[in-house]
Amino acid sequence: MLEASIDIGAFVEIFDLDSVDKTEEGFTSYLNDLCENLELDYATYCAVNTVSDQVIGFTTYDDAWKEHYTSQRFQNIDPTLHLPMRSIAPIDWQRLREHRDFDRVFEHARDFKIKDQGLSVPIHGPYGEVGLISVTRDCSLGTWEKLRKNVITELQTAAVSLHDTVMQSDTLGYALRRPQLSSRECEVLQWTAAGKSQIDIGVILTISSRTVEVHLRSARSKLSALSTPQAVGRAIGMGFIQPK
Amino acid sequence: MIIAIDGINAHHFQSLLRQSYQLRARVFQDRLGWDVNVENGMETDVFDALNPTTLVSLNASGQVVGSMRILQTTGPNMLADVFYSILQGEPAPRSPLIWEATRLCVDTDRLNATGSPRARNSISYVTSEIMVAACEYAMDAGVSDAVAVIDPLMNRVLKRSGNAPYDYLGKATPMGKVTAMAGLLDCSIERTERLRERSDMRGDVFLDEKTAIVRFGDNSKKNLAASDAIRTYLSEQLQSADTLDELHATLKLISEIEK
Repeated sequence: MLEASIDIGAFVEIFDLDSVDKTEEGFTSYLNDLCENLELDYATYCAVNTVSDQVIGFTTYDDAWKEHYTSQRFQNIDPTLHLPMRSIAPIDWQRLREHRDFDRVFEHARDFKIKDQGLSVPIHGPYGEVGLISVTRDCSLGTWEKLRKNVITELQTAAVSLHDTVMQSDTLGYALRRPQLSSRECEVLQWTAAGKSQIDIGVILTISSRTVEVHLRSARSKLSALSTPQAVGRAIGMGFIQPK
Repeated sequence: MIIAIDGINAHHFQSLLRQSYQLRARVFQDRLGWDVNVENGMETDVFDALNPTTLVSLNASGQVVGSMRILQTTGPNMLADVFYSILQGEPAPRSPLIWEATRLCVDTDRLNATGSPRARNSISYVTSEIMVAACEYAMDAGVSDAVAVIDPLMNRVLKRSGNAPYDYLGKATPMGKVTAMAGLLDCSIERTERLRERSDMRGDVFLDEKTAIVRFGDNSKKNLAASDAIRTYLSEQLQSADTLDELHATLKLISEIEK
């Protein structure tokens, strides 16, 4: 029944990301099409910034659930998000039900009429970065098992093309790879690149050298750098500061 | 009997993973002479830190007698990042529907080389069991093919056990003392049915996760009983130590085990 409902036209539509706007709206409408073509209720894409641990993504869920979800900071604990990222294979949420945070998220989800029947497809990228597409469908277990079998290959393919497109796009890919440095952290790195010592920089910016050290330390960790020279190199490479 | 160890359940199966790494050290370093990194008798590399899936085959007494590591080809993998010279300058395959199988090994010390493919303690049966598990695991994920990085010896084992690759990528390439090759395997019902028939393998080859944790997890009764026995032994040794040297030896042993 399902196979009959997916015609060739729909297939082309699913995999054609070229015509999609490389913006959050464009990607969300891609997910909407995916849901429609594969008979799913909701779809979400997300990825974790490996430097800042920030979760970035987009979803077809209603605004009300989106707002509630982020206000509760569920993105930090949601096991359907974090656990499948540690897998190479798609993870049916049935396997995650006993995780202590599963009920915490889905008790709330129930109030928004969102069921806990779903599947998360992890995506591993060439730089070791990990993304994820998760989809849900409210139906009997038997229908779900059949549906999963029918759509898994299309989902895998769609997940990787979406992830690759996002990573190459300016909007989200940029945010995923790019740590967020404060203007003070940039200033301190800029003066370090200019050859100034920590004490010098404190005098120039009229802050204590201890505060300079705090900014440096934070910048180093945001850039995953082991040393200050490495942080300066990365900050130049990412365009945060000018090479002087 | 196969247990699939992945990034989600690995914290329950450290003991089985150690056995798998030990088997890998025995096979790839000791027997085949590969240039691999072995520490404390265990062979591991950077890819083990990327949450691969490790399929382990257990014998009747619960020992690891075979294992295989699976990675996605969309992310970092051995063919793209280590064994690329097999591909003669061509880029490695990258697809969500192709997985990579590496570190495939069976315990030739514990298994019977000449046994019938139906005998559960034969190399042939264990190899086929791992391949059936890998195929079914892949099919469940919508994955259609696997590329396996192997050496001519394993290639022969695969052919003899009815697991021959349907094709090869690039060409067999000497890498140090070893020749490496990349075989293509279809993850299909035809393959699993053929193998199951040949080895008279019925029912689920996988032990489900919950049962596996109870029976073979790090906190299973068997493992706890074993560590209880060791603790009893060590405390007896401590009490009966007559000389300072004996005492030191026992304390050293305890600190090693506590690690």
